[in-house]
Amino acid sequence: MAEPGVYLEKLSLFARMLRLEGLTVGPQETADASQVLITLGLEDRAQVKAALRTVFAKSQEEQAAFDRVFDGFFVSEEAMKRQAQEQQQREAQLAEGRRQAEEDLRFRGEPMDIREDLREVYAAMPESERERLRQLMDRYKGNIDRSPELYGSFIHSVFTRALLEQQMLLEDAGSGGMETDPELGLLFRDIGEFKDTEIPRAIAIIQSIARQINGELSAKRQQTGHTGQLDFRRTIRRGLETGGSLHRLVYKKKRHRRRKLVLLCDVSGSMMQFSEFALRFIQSLNQVSESSQVFLFSEDLFEADAFSLQNMDLFRNYVRESGLYGRGTDLGTALAKLCVRRPAVLGPATTLLILSDTKTIDLPRAAQALLEAKRQAGRVLWLNPIPESKWPYVRSIQTMAALCQMIPCSTLRDLAAACRRLVT
Amino acid sequence: MNLDLLKQKMDQAHYIYDDTLAVTLSVALQLGRPLLIEGAAGVGKTEVAKVMAQALDRELVRLQCYEGLDESKALYEWNYQKQLLSIQVNRESLDRDQLTKSLFSDEYLLERPLLQSIRSDKPVVLLIDEIDKADEEFEAFLLELLSEMQVTIPEVGTIRAKTIPFVVLTSNRARPLSEALRRRCAYLYIQYPDLDKELAILRAKLPHVDDRLAGQVAVAVQKLRASEAILKKPSIAETLDWVAALDALGIRELTPDALRQTAGFVLKNSEDLAVLDTLDTSSDHNCGCSHDHGCGGHCHG
Repeated sequence: MAEPGVYLEKLSLFARMLRLEGLTVGPQETADASQVLITLGLEDRAQVKAALRTVFAKSQEEQAAFDRVFDGFFVSEEAMKRQAQEQQQREAQLAEGRRQAEEDLRFRGEPMDIREDLREVYAAMPESERERLRQLMDRYKGNIDRSPELYGSFIHSVFTRALLEQQMLLEDAGSGGMETDPELGLLFRDIGEFKDTEIPRAIAIIQSIARQINGELSAKRQQTGHTGQLDFRRTIRRGLETGGSLHRLVYKKKRHRRRKLVLLCDVSGSMMQFSEFALRFIQSLNQVSESSQVFLFSEDLFEADAFSLQNMDLFRNYVRESGLYGRGTDLGTALAKLCVRRPAVLGPATTLLILSDTKTIDLPRAAQALLEAKRQAGRVLWLNPIPESKWPYVRSIQTMAALCQMIPCSTLRDLAAACRRLVT
Repeated sequence: MNLDLLKQKMDQAHYIYDDTLAVTLSVALQLGRPLLIEGAAGVGKTEVAKVMAQALDRELVRLQCYEGLDESKALYEWNYQKQLLSIQVNRESLDRDQLTKSLFSDEYLLERPLLQSIRSDKPVVLLIDEIDKADEEFEAFLLELLSEMQVTIPEVGTIRAKTIPFVVLTSNRARPLSEALRRRCAYLYIQYPDLDKELAILRAKLPHVDDRLAGQVAVAVQKLRASEAILKKPSIAETLDWVAALDALGIRELTPDALRQTAGFVLKNSEDLAVLDTLDTSSDHNCGCSHDHGCGGHCHG
């Protein structure tokens, strides 16, 4: 076994990293961990991991964070060498990319007016993409010489657009590789990317989170204060326990009026899977509302009956039979039809929840219809499956987000957080 | 107790465990920390406490939590009837102070599970089951016991533990537990067993049952748990009941008819029973034993 001093120092550093990851690690936990390590030693990695996890991680979510930190911290010597080699290669590639960027991002011998972060993107992007841009520049060489001002702004816009697209791809690649736990990994992955085989697991996660949210809400409501009015029946009944003396008064509890919920779900092409999950989630929250109505739309609007939402197969069949499947998206028409429905669907006690990626035909008409819906409904919330990092690149999102409260929920974790916001 | 000895004891108790579970239990024992176990209903959380009692050769004291559980049900209560009788009998007594003092002595104290576990002469295993069902006030009340191993009774004073119990708390995550409680415990999350583990449990608990039948049941249960249409997922105890029922009926193969006849042992509500017909729970092509041909764990061909 190694000298305790050697790994106690490492342990304290490890505890600091866990704190950075959001775990509550106090001196007691670190002392416990050191006691465990002194007994167990460091020979068996799996054993050390299980033991430290018991001490440091106090919930399933904390266990996932712990695993990430542990796997990054306690690496074997071979893995460390391999990582260092890979890092060296990456740095060499990046240096070469930067040199290339210096050469390529020039227009008629002058450096192009391109942001510094996009230059870094150019340095990191694949050679094939760089070659495509170089070819474009070559193709327009003659035109550039003839009309430098006109083609200057054209080339600049093409380069900027290509670099922004690459930046989005790089951000996606960076956010994907974090999770190693298959169960919790699903929580952080894009809902639209779930494979068919992962859907049952995702549904199990939804059910478990929904149960937890329901429990939290029910506990919270029990704690909330009373009305100040005495509950005579309960007071007298409790008094019987103490021979009729009414020394423990019971008050009437506040009644919580839940809002009426109207769900407007985009079921066109790419939105289908997200809408299924979101609907399932919201339906499992029995504390959300006292009544709810679900409307599905693509180019037209249909009201879904409760039976069709019972499981995924029924839902998909229902969408196919309604003729909404495989069509384009017309949010303006859907919202306009919703606003004129009689008896009125929207009212001051209604929360309108829109599940859509905002991609629609005729954006100005859709924005107009959203304003009308907002006027009629008490509250409008928008659940958007597009990650928040991409919002600045999508014009329709910027338009709609300015008109109502928009919540990003590309992952199950975001969806759970959005549902928590919905009910509180 | 070191890890190897603990594993040996759990083997003797015919308990199927993985290394993570064994290490976690060993660490909790070594540090003298309560162990908080979370997981879905029926994954075997309570069983851990029972097995630990068996492995450590200790008595198991169980406190089942529910909404409204308070100190009088969990810690102690005065025996009011006996106190009243004593007052009646000793009414003529001149020493009133002595009488009052005697009324709040051990003689009139009714021990409930928590007090019983810390006043026991021999250390026990204390199981606080489904702590998420109890109110938050009760959770806060438990903190003194779990961290200091002592409780305070106003009429008597602070009672320190004679022996330190091994405390196991279980939760189905119906509501989140307080950070303070979590911090005082070692933590373990248990998931439903995978096919191999479920098969191993069936073999360990019901060794006389035909391997082929056990394999088929294990596969069927895995499918039922994976199905989104099933609202209440079958627990390990229900799987064992199901196999025992099939065995008692002399059924050697899980045919659709046999499944329908005995489904009540594994599915406990009418909605789940109604969807059973639509599910393909047969195991003809995958017995789950990694042999891929419905052999129930052994290659019978």
